[in-house]
Amino acid sequence: MKILLIIPSYNEEKNILKVYKAIENFNKTHIIKYDYIFINDCSTDSSKKIFNRYNLNHIDLINNLGIGGAVQTGYKYAFKNKYDIAVQFDGDNQHNINFVKTIIKPIEEQKYDMVIGSRFKKKKKRYLTTKMRHIGIKIISLFIKLVTSKKIYDPTSGFRAVNKKIIKEFAFKYPVEYPEPVSIVYLLKKGYKINEEPVSMKKRLHGKSSINSWKNYYYMINVILLIIIIGTRRKK
Amino acid sequence: MNTKLLIFSIISILIIILTIIILLNREKINVKYAIVWIGIFGLLLLLLIVPKLLISITSFLGFTLPSNMIIVLFISILVFLNIIITIIVSNQNRKIRLLIQEISILKKEVIDNEKTNK
Repeated sequence: MKILLIIPSYNEEKNILKVYKAIENFNKTHIIKYDYIFINDCSTDSSKKIFNRYNLNHIDLINNLGIGGAVQTGYKYAFKNKYDIAVQFDGDNQHNINFVKTIIKPIEEQKYDMVIGSRFKKKKKRYLTTKMRHIGIKIISLFIKLVTSKKIYDPTSGFRAVNKKIIKEFAFKYPVEYPEPVSIVYLLKKGYKINEEPVSMKKRLHGKSSINSWKNYYYMINVILLIIIIGTRRKK
Repeated sequence: MNTKLLIFSIISILIIILTIIILLNREKINVKYAIVWIGIFGLLLLLLIVPKLLISITSFLGFTLPSNMIIVLFISILVFLNIIITIIVSNQNRKIRLLIQEISILKKEVIDNEKTNK
């Protein structure tokens, strides 16, 4: 099994080495090895220097694409290099490497095509997010349930693993606008099987999250519109 | 219509059409987009020069005043054109994204190859 961690990174100079060291440490202490690829989304800080100085495996996007376009580049790379499993892993050090095996296990067992690392599954709250954000996530979750009849507790989680079929799917067609919730609807509608595994996430220490507060309402309206449109599309 | 106003209108329209032709000549805009604008302003010019046509279209569409008809008609055309432009922009976004991704991956492969050959 060839496993690739896709790590989109935009202005994360303080987090790059932490993420890299976590992967290194994991690979040293485990039989299974994870390959990784950083996607540098045209960072304006000294990210590029760090990638080159430490000779990290990375792709420098020649122009800024945003998180969706960056992640899709990772899937294209995974597809070209024939990986069996690709894991989306955040470059801001919020995701814990030790949970990667939790979310890839159901894929290795071929039970599911995509597994999402969920903060909210199984009542126990493992990561405190703001109340407003939690309500937003619940609303998105509700709309996904309405159009696909599948309950996804944490549709905005960027921590997810996919199998070879979906790597190919995403390499050619990826919802670059609001990819986290929208890709779930897109895949469910195509008949792929998705599940969640409970994970815990760290709070971010450095840098800013890509979701600004004043943009949240705009985000919600866009996501809900897209979910309804993709969700009610007829199967081809 | 007032003669002064008529002359002023015709001159304005001619200036706009001329501007588009100059832009086309300098290869600043594509002919397939230029032709749309020339067509629209050509139509307006025609309506100004032939008032009979303007009046018959106005009564045909049920407007009381020709000016109302012109305003409604042209707002509709502009909205339509804006939607088309949004489609074009979205398409170009997709194409540019594809280019950036493919070039960036290629660039990485080239650099990796250089490193291993050293």
